Amino acid sequence: MSLVIDSVYKKFQRFPALNGASLTAPQGAFVALLGPSGSGKTTLLRILGGLEQADSGAVRFADLNWLDMPARQRKAGFVFQQYALFRHMTVANNIAFGLEVRPRAERPAKAEIQRRVEELLELVQLKDLGKRYPSQLSGGQRQRVALARALAIEPRMLLLDEPFGALDTKVRKELRVWLRHIHDKAGVTSVFVTHDQDEAFEMADLVAVMNKGRIEQVGAPQDVRRDPRTAFVSEFLSA
Amino acid sequence: MSAIGLPLAFRRRTLPGFSLSLGFTLFYLTSLVLVPLLALLIRPWSLGFEGFWDAVTAPRVLASLRLSFGSAIAAAAIDSVFGLIIAWVLVRYRFPGKGLLDALIDLPFALPTAVAGIALSTLYAPSGWIGSILAEYGIKIAYTPWGVLVAMTFIALPFSVRTIQPVLADMGKDAEEAAATLGATRLQTIFRVALPMILPAILTGAAMAFARAVGEYGSIIFIAGNMPGISQIAPLMIVIKLEQYDYRGAAAIGVVMLAASFIMLLALNGLQAWAAKRR
Amino acid sequence: MARKFRNPTDDPLALKLLLGAIAISFVGLFLVMPLAVVFKEALAKGLGAALTAISDQDSLSSIRLSLIAAGIAVPLNTVFGIAAAWAIAKFDFPGKTFLVTLIDLPFSVSPVVAGLIYVLVFGAQGWFGPYLLDHDVHILFALPGIVLATIFVTFPFVARELIPLMTDQGRDEEEAAATLGASGFQTFRRVTLPNIKWGLLYAVLLCNARALGEFGAVSVVSGKIRGETVTMPLQVQLMYENYDYVGAFSVAAILAMLALLTLALKTLLEWRYADELAASHRR
Repeated sequence: MSLVIDSVYKKFQRFPALNGASLTAPQGAFVALLGPSGSGKTTLLRILGGLEQADSGAVRFADLNWLDMPARQRKAGFVFQQYALFRHMTVANNIAFGLEVRPRAERPAKAEIQRRVEELLELVQLKDLGKRYPSQLSGGQRQRVALARALAIEPRMLLLDEPFGALDTKVRKELRVWLRHIHDKAGVTSVFVTHDQDEAFEMADLVAVMNKGRIEQVGAPQDVRRDPRTAFVSEFLSA
Repeated sequence: MSAIGLPLAFRRRTLPGFSLSLGFTLFYLTSLVLVPLLALLIRPWSLGFEGFWDAVTAPRVLASLRLSFGSAIAAAAIDSVFGLIIAWVLVRYRFPGKGLLDALIDLPFALPTAVAGIALSTLYAPSGWIGSILAEYGIKIAYTPWGVLVAMTFIALPFSVRTIQPVLADMGKDAEEAAATLGATRLQTIFRVALPMILPAILTGAAMAFARAVGEYGSIIFIAGNMPGISQIAPLMIVIKLEQYDYRGAAAIGVVMLAASFIMLLALNGLQAWAAKRR
Repeated sequence: MARKFRNPTDDPLALKLLLGAIAISFVGLFLVMPLAVVFKEALAKGLGAALTAISDQDSLSSIRLSLIAAGIAVPLNTVFGIAAAWAIAKFDFPGKTFLVTLIDLPFSVSPVVAGLIYVLVFGAQGWFGPYLLDHDVHILFALPGIVLATIFVTFPFVARELIPLMTDQGRDEEEAAATLGASGFQTFRRVTLPNIKWGLLYAVLLCNARALGEFGAVSVVSGKIRGETVTMPLQVQLMYENYDYVGAFSVAAILAMLALLTLALKTLLEWRYADELAASHRR
């Protein structure tokens, strides 16, 4: 059940954001999309999430023609750089959201939803903060809520768009370790966008270096570092 | 420097012109606003609280206050619903002529109230374009209290739209995208995420629409019919009292309306504070 | 892969059509139709009749009076607005919030109340009533009263536009000018004014349109003496009440055209100078 991205193209008006991006990753892998701004990594992530549509290309995952499904059917948990928490809802209600909007047939009972929310709050180490509002939390706490909310829907895939970009260095470092730990526990395929090399190399099983809308090289962190395949990759990594 | 002993507020400023500009401003405001307002606040009590109470609870006066306040609430509610829809369409949709629609929203704001008044009166009279159609269904608008509602809805619409519009435009779509990835349908997203987020703006717009409508005069008196006890608005009562040289009675009604404006202002400030807290 | 679904934040087509139809119908019904009626009624007996109505003696003097009243009120309010904005935007002092609230006051006060307060001060039974009578000074039922009422209802316009604008622009440039030795007026003329010119122009236009169109407040203080204290909106009322519909709507049409002109200029200013306006709203 690997993730196969095949020649995805996307243009914004005249600007070619994705120019034939391709990538294969095994089930459960933690993939980092690494590259400078404008390389197309966020666009590719948003296409995986169903927030943008590809002009052409295909994605297969979990035996599904991924790009044929609208976002709400994909069960692809998305974590935004600016958290995108529902400010008018408590932390607990934020996390419960994905379960509460399910059609009646699939919706768990209220008690069950509550139980899951509690479970997730513990997982992200925010145990007693369920009744708080996002505005009462720190940046790091908000991002953990965002992750818990995405995990609540038991996603097939986890997509993270520079999730620590808005946080300070110390918090970033703590959250990196923690996120990798959560990923290992949950066992879900994750795609993680970053422009920070250290972050990518520290966390990922597979690093995909992107440039100008194409994935120039994919591999295990140490392999990519030791053996850069194009001029761009070697320059980018030595910077 | 000798300024050290003075309170911080009054030490020398880096920029020139402070005392001149502030002095002129205060002078202007005091003579034009504060002093006349003082006259208004003092006048009703010349016969004590009882005199004030009698003036305000006289049947015709009460009826006019009920009409002005009741219609203004209804108009604010209508304008909130349609103002929300119009703001949504203007911010979220693209279509030819949108710029024109946007510019038109300010019309009740820019159009003199007397012009609006005679236009609405003619339009909804039994012989008017709309009035004649409604007459076939037995509905009368002009010269009835419904005319008051129609005129208030017209005059207050921009306050609702222009309050919601910038907030909606600034809102961004992150939260809605998040809701979609979490499995919500578009309708669920609109009702559970988008609308609650602009609720403060909707309420603020409603409050401002109410404040505008409750004191409105020119656009209402032509279409209202002005029948005592039935379709007379409070501002008209003030004018009638003045014509009868009942300054005290007029001032009493004026004070009630001023109090309403003041309460509305407080409510608005409260709403802003609540909205800011949620950020 | 073909486009199989819309973006997740796009509304379904059915909803778009529904809301669009509601919005357009509402605006058409409530806003456009009244405007159309004004011109339809003005021209009901042809353009000639409309023009004759406007050039009637009373109509002409109402136009003249309106122009005079606005001609006094608008410049005074502009000076006030600039002074208030200067004090509020460029300085800190206790009571600033209260001052701003006070400036907003006319917006929340009924126009009739605005007229009422001047009657209470200058009217026959008002504070200065007997004094004015003794000295044969006429405030009410004369130009001064009309000007006062007009000033009251329109003075926030310029101030309200300039205060946030000048606050946004900060004090840096003015402080630089001050250190270079410029006087207050020089600083204002050479540094501040160029930065605020579009906002100022827009505010003056709005203030002017409102001044010419004010009805409730002026109606209370004017006494409606034909040929003397009748402004354009009052003339509209007088003609309408005398069943002279063509006359009333013709004068109304002039005011309506002024309103449309103001709206058009506003749109033009916003469109053409969006960049400059945005730049002048620097943080």
